[in-house]
Amino acid sequence: MRRISPVPVAAVGLIGLVALVVPWLGLPDPVTIDVSNRLSPPSWQHWLGQDEVGRDILSRLLWGARSSLTVAILSALIGCAIGTTLGVLGGFLGGVVDLLTIRAADIILCFPPLLLALLVVTLLGPGAATLIPVLGLVFIPGFVRVAYAGVLSVRHQEYVEAQRALGVGPARIMLRTVLPNIGGPVLVQFSLAMAAAVVLESGLSFLGLGVVPPSPSWGLMIGAARQTMAQTVLPLIWPCIALTMTVLAMNALCDAVRAAVDPHGMPPRERRWKLPALLPGLPLGAASSLSVNGLSVAIDTTAGEIRPVRRVSWQVAPSETLAIVGESGSGKSLSGLAVLGLLPPVARAAEGEVHFDGRELLRLDEPALRRLRGGDVAMIFQDPMSSLNPVHRIGRQITEAIRVHRKLSHGAAWREAVALLARVGIPDADRRARSFPHELSGGMRQRAMVAMAIANRPKLLIADEPTTALDVTIQAQVLDLLAELKAENGMGLVFITHSLPVVAEIADRVVVMYAGEVVEQGPVGEIFPRPLHPYTAALLQSAPPEDGSLPKAIPGTVPLPQHFPAGCAFAPRCAMARPECDAAPLPLEQAGPGRQTRCIRWRTLASEPTMQRAEA
Amino acid sequence: MWVARRIVVALILVWIVASVVFLAIRLVPGDPAELMLSQGGVSPDAAVVAELREQLGLDRPVWDQYWANLRGLLVGDLGVSLTDQASVARQVFVRLPRTLELIAAAAILSVGFGIPLGLLAALRRGGWFDRAVMAAAGLSLSVPVFVVGTLMVLLLAQWLSLLPAGGFTPLARDPGRHFAQLLMPALTISSSLGPVLVSMTRASVIDVITRDHVRTARAKGVAPAAIVAHHVLRNALIPVVTVLALHLGTLLGGTVLVEYVFNYPGLSGLLVDSVNARDYPMVQGVVLVISVLFVALNLVMDLIYGMLDPRVRHA
Repeated sequence: MRRISPVPVAAVGLIGLVALVVPWLGLPDPVTIDVSNRLSPPSWQHWLGQDEVGRDILSRLLWGARSSLTVAILSALIGCAIGTTLGVLGGFLGGVVDLLTIRAADIILCFPPLLLALLVVTLLGPGAATLIPVLGLVFIPGFVRVAYAGVLSVRHQEYVEAQRALGVGPARIMLRTVLPNIGGPVLVQFSLAMAAAVVLESGLSFLGLGVVPPSPSWGLMIGAARQTMAQTVLPLIWPCIALTMTVLAMNALCDAVRAAVDPHGMPPRERRWKLPALLPGLPLGAASSLSVNGLSVAIDTTAGEIRPVRRVSWQVAPSETLAIVGESGSGKSLSGLAVLGLLPPVARAAEGEVHFDGRELLRLDEPALRRLRGGDVAMIFQDPMSSLNPVHRIGRQITEAIRVHRKLSHGAAWREAVALLARVGIPDADRRARSFPHELSGGMRQRAMVAMAIANRPKLLIADEPTTALDVTIQAQVLDLLAELKAENGMGLVFITHSLPVVAEIADRVVVMYAGEVVEQGPVGEIFPRPLHPYTAALLQSAPPEDGSLPKAIPGTVPLPQHFPAGCAFAPRCAMARPECDAAPLPLEQAGPGRQTRCIRWRTLASEPTMQRAEA
Repeated sequence: MWVARRIVVALILVWIVASVVFLAIRLVPGDPAELMLSQGGVSPDAAVVAELREQLGLDRPVWDQYWANLRGLLVGDLGVSLTDQASVARQVFVRLPRTLELIAAAAILSVGFGIPLGLLAALRRGGWFDRAVMAAAGLSLSVPVFVVGTLMVLLLAQWLSLLPAGGFTPLARDPGRHFAQLLMPALTISSSLGPVLVSMTRASVIDVITRDHVRTARAKGVAPAAIVAHHVLRNALIPVVTVLALHLGTLLGGTVLVEYVFNYPGLSGLLVDSVNARDYPMVQGVVLVISVLFVALNLVMDLIYGMLDPRVRHA
């Protein structure tokens, strides 16, 4: 938990302090009536003036803070104690207890809070003594739900299971493990309950159903001053200000507590997602080959700029398949997204050039890029479930891709969409076009994504881990489909993946990425039998071998962008590393025709192909 | 099928609510009849208490009372008011449409400015417009409704004489005055509902904008305005509808204060009057009707939710 921002704490603390010390401030008695001076303006004796029966407004205001906060704290405590206990018991013990507590809370939630309070006040009569338990009751369900959810989330975590296995009793587990874990959310709920209690107390008192006159309460003061507001407004304004300021301070405190408890709070500075002006784009040319030169992607974080992609270069020719391989965090997906300007808002292409059809894509304006996207350059993403819009039918999503780029009637576009679905091997395409994404299987969804991508016969298709979310048989079908389409249309294919067997099956050339850099590049037929970078070699060994022997995992993980080393990024995990590897950034060396490697020891690796196997 | 299941669940909830309202009076310590009659600590006459007990049927066994109560509900009989012997059901159904109209007007106003402002704030996230909207929403949310209402009366009615300070005129008699009197209470309610919708819409849109399917739409070359209309707004409204449903329910309770401030003779005004008069059958009837309304509202919202999100229909 981070520190809670001090300003709201100080504000609420100040109000609390005033409420605490008000009996010793030497103020006039808040209930002494002085009818002859009713509605007097502010004076030396009465700084804020006198109310409709001549009582001192300042004194009533400060005493009002006392009653308001007393009710707020006590009722929130009651709600917290009972609600949290019930929620923890329900979540922890489960079964009947669970049913009773959670359903009871749900039923209380069926009554709007103010109504529930009114119902009980009818039965018990108004007054602060009624108000506190009533509001406590109103707050119980909130605490039950928060505690219940918290317990459910920690109940099955390993450290709790471990304690249970060690024979620790449930009461002890609850006290030691569960309570500290739900502390944050319960604290947030507590601050919310206090703020709500202040509002509810003043509202009920305003109606004459809360604090009983002549006791001072802001709600009562506002209610009474309303009657005389035609004569003077000051007695009305003061309690309105006091109440609003208090609620404002408490709401700010709620936000501060929530921000401190919530681990996702305080996102890094983000660029705005602008609505660019609609401008005509440039006409499209004929030749098509994509070349990426020295591309870097930067992300601004609170700790400064990081570069998850660094000076990456690769090319893909028409009818060629280029595979970009690497572990998660290697920057392979980001470099793919950067090509079409689809980087998430936090990231931007910081340097480099991307050429396609004689145009530089990184300098292209948004409308021109838009014409390219889904037109000459299409993209497929990893998870077809989340990549399709869940609320629109499949056919409509494909139709949209068609009609964005070509002037077609809705009917014609729909017929084309159905034909596309049939083309990618979806049976009963006519009916499937009317399905929603959740009604299709994973394989069919990815086929639908492919259909959408090829709708305008792209010259280049960028596929970002298109088969990762699918099982092996479906994977093979989608790969076959892509190969077929490529042969049919002569389109170039950039295939981003972490799976080497897939690369061997589909790709002509491979780019291996590590820690944001290209570490090796060359034709598949040469790299697979003879890798010239220890990382490629390690990747090849970490794939399950066909002879049934155990694959070799690469020790360690990819460094985070903020911790990229100065020299070779793979050196800390490399069995062949020498001190000179860490000294300075290594260049990408030419190692034969069409082959590059970023290893200074590639000659050693090339001459002793067994060495890697022995040392790694 | 999905609709039928939702309706059954709603009916069960109504039954539970009716039972709880029935039990509330019996579970309170002390004799309810005596509680109702005692004013300011003076013990009431025993004969009067006995008479009231008989009138309310409190002298009969609890099960009998419970069945009588449920049977009455089925035929729309909510009992008889203690103050004027009028039928509770009739009173309630005179007042109910007025409160519903007020809530509908408030909801339309809140949705009308809350969702567009929330959307624009999200699209201009971090900019001055976003910060201004969010600051205004936070402030507006912090002022209790009865304070907003009272200050609005002071400003618009007393000082500027733009709108009537309160009251109610039937639509048939004078439509102009009817809507003039409706505007201020509806605006007052919007001052608390609107900001909730603004921040909810903003958060939801920001969440949806970063989802994969929006990236897919961009990858298809769809223009930003069309992305917002077809791929962001519709998806983003799903959680907003849920929140709206929850808050409309709270609003039903919140109208108590607003109707009081504007002297609007709705259901809640009836409730406050009968609470003050300790007219228990009337309170019971009003609370029951409002709770049933709350459940019905949630049902309607569930149905809208199903229309927005096709996945729900199959869950």
